[in-house]
Amino acid sequence: MRLIRQNIERKTGAGSATLLPEEPEDMWHAYNLIRPTDLLRASAIRKVVTESGSGSRSNERVHMTLTIRVTKLDFDPQAAQLHVSGRVAVENKHVKLGSFHTLDLELQRNFTLEKAEGWDSVALDTLKEAINQDAKAQLWAVVMQEGLANICLITDHQTILRQRVEVNLPKKRAGSTDHDKSLQRFYQTTFDSLLRQLDLANPKPLLLASPGFTAGSFHQFIKTQASNGGNKQIQQLVPKITVAHSASGHLHSLAEVLASPAVTSKLSDTKFARETQLMDRFFELIRKDDARAWYGPKECELAVERGAVGKGGGVLLISNSLFRSQNIQTRKRWVRLVDEVKEGGGEVRVFSSMHESGKRLEGLGGIATILTWPIEDLDEEVDGVQEGQDMPDEDGVDGGVDGIEGVSGHDEDIDFL
Amino acid sequence: MQRVKNVGYDEDELYDEEDDVYEEDGDPGYTAEDRANFSALTPVVRAELEEAGVQASDQDIGAALWHYFWDVGKSVSYLKNSRTPRPQQQGVKKEDKPKAKSKFDEAAQKSAETAAHADMPPMSAADWFRDVPWTQIPPEMEGSIVPATPVIPRPKLLGGSSKLARLAEERRKKAVAAANVASPPVTNGASSSLDRLSRPKDTKENEAPVPKVEPKRYPIRKKREPTPPPKEPTPPPPEPEEEEKPDLRASPTSFGRTLAASLPHSRYTPSMTLKDMLGSGVTEDPFKGPSPDDTKLTNGCSITGNTGKTKQPAANGLAKKTEALKLGDSAPSAPSPPKVRSKGLDVPNLWAGGKSKRKASAAFVVIGHVDHGKSTLMGRLLLDTGAVSQRDVDRYQKQATELGKSSFALAWVMDTGTEERERGVTVDIAQHHFSTDSVNFTILDAPGHRDFVPNMIGGASMADLAVLVVDANQLESGMKGQTREHVLLAKAVGLKRVLVAVNKLDATAPYSWSQDVFQKVKNDVLKFLGEAGFAANDITVVPCSGLSGENVAKAPKPNEPAAWVARTDLTLLKALEQAVPSGGNGDAVKRPLRMQVADVFRGGITNPLSVSGRMTAGNAQPGDPVLVQPSGETATVRGVEVSGEPRDYAVAGDICTLHLTDIDPIHICTGDVVCDPSQKVPVVESFTAEIEALDSLLPQSVDVHLGRLHTAGSITRLVATVDDKGVTLKKKPRMVKAGQRAIVKVAVEDGVPVEGGEMVVLRAQGETVGFGIVERTGG
Repeated sequence: MRLIRQNIERKTGAGSATLLPEEPEDMWHAYNLIRPTDLLRASAIRKVVTESGSGSRSNERVHMTLTIRVTKLDFDPQAAQLHVSGRVAVENKHVKLGSFHTLDLELQRNFTLEKAEGWDSVALDTLKEAINQDAKAQLWAVVMQEGLANICLITDHQTILRQRVEVNLPKKRAGSTDHDKSLQRFYQTTFDSLLRQLDLANPKPLLLASPGFTAGSFHQFIKTQASNGGNKQIQQLVPKITVAHSASGHLHSLAEVLASPAVTSKLSDTKFARETQLMDRFFELIRKDDARAWYGPKECELAVERGAVGKGGGVLLISNSLFRSQNIQTRKRWVRLVDEVKEGGGEVRVFSSMHESGKRLEGLGGIATILTWPIEDLDEEVDGVQEGQDMPDEDGVDGGVDGIEGVSGHDEDIDFL
Repeated sequence: MQRVKNVGYDEDELYDEEDDVYEEDGDPGYTAEDRANFSALTPVVRAELEEAGVQASDQDIGAALWHYFWDVGKSVSYLKNSRTPRPQQQGVKKEDKPKAKSKFDEAAQKSAETAAHADMPPMSAADWFRDVPWTQIPPEMEGSIVPATPVIPRPKLLGGSSKLARLAEERRKKAVAAANVASPPVTNGASSSLDRLSRPKDTKENEAPVPKVEPKRYPIRKKREPTPPPKEPTPPPPEPEEEEKPDLRASPTSFGRTLAASLPHSRYTPSMTLKDMLGSGVTEDPFKGPSPDDTKLTNGCSITGNTGKTKQPAANGLAKKTEALKLGDSAPSAPSPPKVRSKGLDVPNLWAGGKSKRKASAAFVVIGHVDHGKSTLMGRLLLDTGAVSQRDVDRYQKQATELGKSSFALAWVMDTGTEERERGVTVDIAQHHFSTDSVNFTILDAPGHRDFVPNMIGGASMADLAVLVVDANQLESGMKGQTREHVLLAKAVGLKRVLVAVNKLDATAPYSWSQDVFQKVKNDVLKFLGEAGFAANDITVVPCSGLSGENVAKAPKPNEPAAWVARTDLTLLKALEQAVPSGGNGDAVKRPLRMQVADVFRGGITNPLSVSGRMTAGNAQPGDPVLVQPSGETATVRGVEVSGEPRDYAVAGDICTLHLTDIDPIHICTGDVVCDPSQKVPVVESFTAEIEALDSLLPQSVDVHLGRLHTAGSITRLVATVDDKGVTLKKKPRMVKAGQRAIVKVAVEDGVPVEGGEMVVLRAQGETVGFGIVERTGG
């Protein structure tokens, strides 16, 4: 994404930014930037119905620039399309004030965003990240086991499942070659699907991961295909393949694969490595039943309130799905929490909910902390607070009260499309 | 031009008439020379003719001379031939004409003949077609075959055919003589060659004056019915071929007759339909009798009885669930597969009744760390019990030696996959059967490698007891690795009995078959199994060596270093027989059908789709309708196999193969559940389970294993930690520590068929993190 111009005032956060999305992943950034109640100005095509004096109607498609006040966002990660619905905020001769319109943001077309409540720190960070023009790491991965292959594209901020191949393989039995035959067919199907996804003219690194020998055999299969056919492009792909071990062929095994040294050395994405490291540390602490690691919205808030997430190792791990809340108040609450930690000298890590480490965090409710000093029985205190305030018994893991909508629902959409 | 025409229409009588007219008309055209020739040659010809006893008019003679360019010989022979009466002309016609005529010529000639015969006056085209019923042919005009009528003599071939004609004449005369000598022929002229074909041979022979001499020949001849009977070796009653010869003559075509016959209008009934006419035509048809095909069919298999049933597949598709229409198929190679109905056996009673007569059966899963010799031990067991021949093992030995892996030869009995053999590692469960005098065993050889633990879970979930194989020399590596995990998983899937085979005792240090080493390993393993929760009297420890074969099926001989074993311990086989759990429970057989699919495969040409697995509840017999979850597709059981042999039914506890029909293979996957259509397994996306944690649990992604089913899921909520009795210790714990029991909510990616009470195993990052029992599904 390129920043065309901006007039954001440092102190109040008022002002607007004009951005130019250049590649599909920029839509993901736009999705994280644009919030309901924001003013969005972008080009649009709208069908205009004109009625003449005699009562006859004529339809016309008019190209215009519309400004809408956002009410809803819809992001399709596989197609990398973002649809923003809202009400028209600036009238023109074709469109009346207050009429509804859905803008489809397009690549290579400017859009201008103005925050109703001003640009908060999280929004500015997101913007900074979005316009970062550093080399973008991209990686294809096939996570497989016998009979199952997940073909996905891994970018800096997203893991997109592009295709899933599921084949029922007959088991080995004496005197039958059915297993071997269908295994070859499975490799062929996976290979064909992979080729359909890859841009062979500009090959990206390809990671094959599986338990057992499946990935190795598939690697061998690709090599054979490359040497058999006269397709130069496939031959160019072969040296870019890395084979790794994963515990299973399911997509969630990818986190483990991406954290392995064999892969991190090939990935330029240090951000991801750092995130994974933090998550591992957190899990390690909690396994040891160390009272410095806590997760869950209430627990984290309470810990931050007590200033336990500060200088000297205090880290707040938070998923960006929390900031995507449709509810302004909820978003504000999380932004306030982040600001508080920053003021206290703590570290804040915003995880992409569509990345593997982010997904692990999502499982914990989207937020976790590593405290500077241990607080025992934080959860019981939270319970006590809840009971005292007579709050509903449901905690934040399921969403609802804390507005962590989309924690599971959205995630699943992406996973299982 | 006229002459050219003559050559073409060699026997055209109409033309002859015209020719005469022409000649009369053409009289003035004769030159003086012509007339002189006429007068000179006519008497010569007449003299010749009179010599042959033939009368001819001057005019005819003149015409003949004119045609033959004053050649007396030719004219005479022509006239002779044309005047000689030829009673059977048509019969020999073919021999007269060596050259085949075109069909068009024949047709034209025939119509001309018939027309001439009927004394039809010359008519216009309109008259000609007046009576032709173009579509509705009255039966009178129907092309039935009628007795041949003598055709009037016609002039023979014009050019130089006199010799041939004479030959024919002679043959004809002989034929007539022979016919007179022979018994009167079956005079029905309508019996064409077709008729002869269709007439059953036996009838014909019965008609023959002399009874058949060689009844033996009957079946042989019967087979050859479709071809005309051989003419030379006719049976004793001389069936003169001449008798049949006239039958071969082509009769007037129906088209010709239809066109030519003039019919009074009164006989034409317009109301007559085509079908009526065909019907009436058919009644005269010689095809009246049963055709040889029919007789053959009625004598052979009674297909007529099945014709009603052949329509069943369609009906079955509409109402699969109807018991009455259940299909089975025992003989699919037959042209129309007869559908085997359900025998409607009362399986629970049959099963309970035959209990005492049956051999006990048991399935055991072989578990242990990788390379501790599980597959080799099982190969040895199969070899020594005779389930695998020494010849096969020798072959494996040879092949394995070629690969430089001679010690894997016995393992190859179980490891049949190409990859498994190349790498020397078991990848998937291998299933094998063998029987002793008292028990039928099914071996489920599990892979030891940590990457294939999912397959091991699938195998263990099908077993009745576990055989834990430990390497006497490498107990430690196993305890850290899969020996430990496998034991816990065996416990997790509900196995109670464990038989420990302390393997590789032939390679112990410092000397082979060290009793001390065995005792030490035995104590360690017993301690560990006790910790894992196995009761002491459910554990048997056996020393053995899979590679060399001591104490597997045969006790070691007294003079061997392993001799002490015979005094203290049972052989592996004996221990297995003792460990067999007594009987199954009859209740499970009566419950609705449940069988988890362990494998979907092509069971052969006759069974394109088969599933195998362990029936956990209920029973099945051919003809039963079943439902496959989660696809929800129905199927019909077409055959049941247990231990590789077809059976009438299978009951809970059996590891069986069901051959299915009426379902597309894409609807069945490994891990699916085959169940009773009326009481199907629910498909859920989340369930609550009470689990025992082997590692600390947080809300996290896990691999969910339900027997053979392996799917991705996640722990969405830690509901509570509980103690052994199920009393809640803490609600909503932050985490579940290793060793704690807890109630957790698990969500799975896709819907899975699961019921309360099933064993579930949760794994993460290649390690088992918890196992337990599904408490509640849904929600």
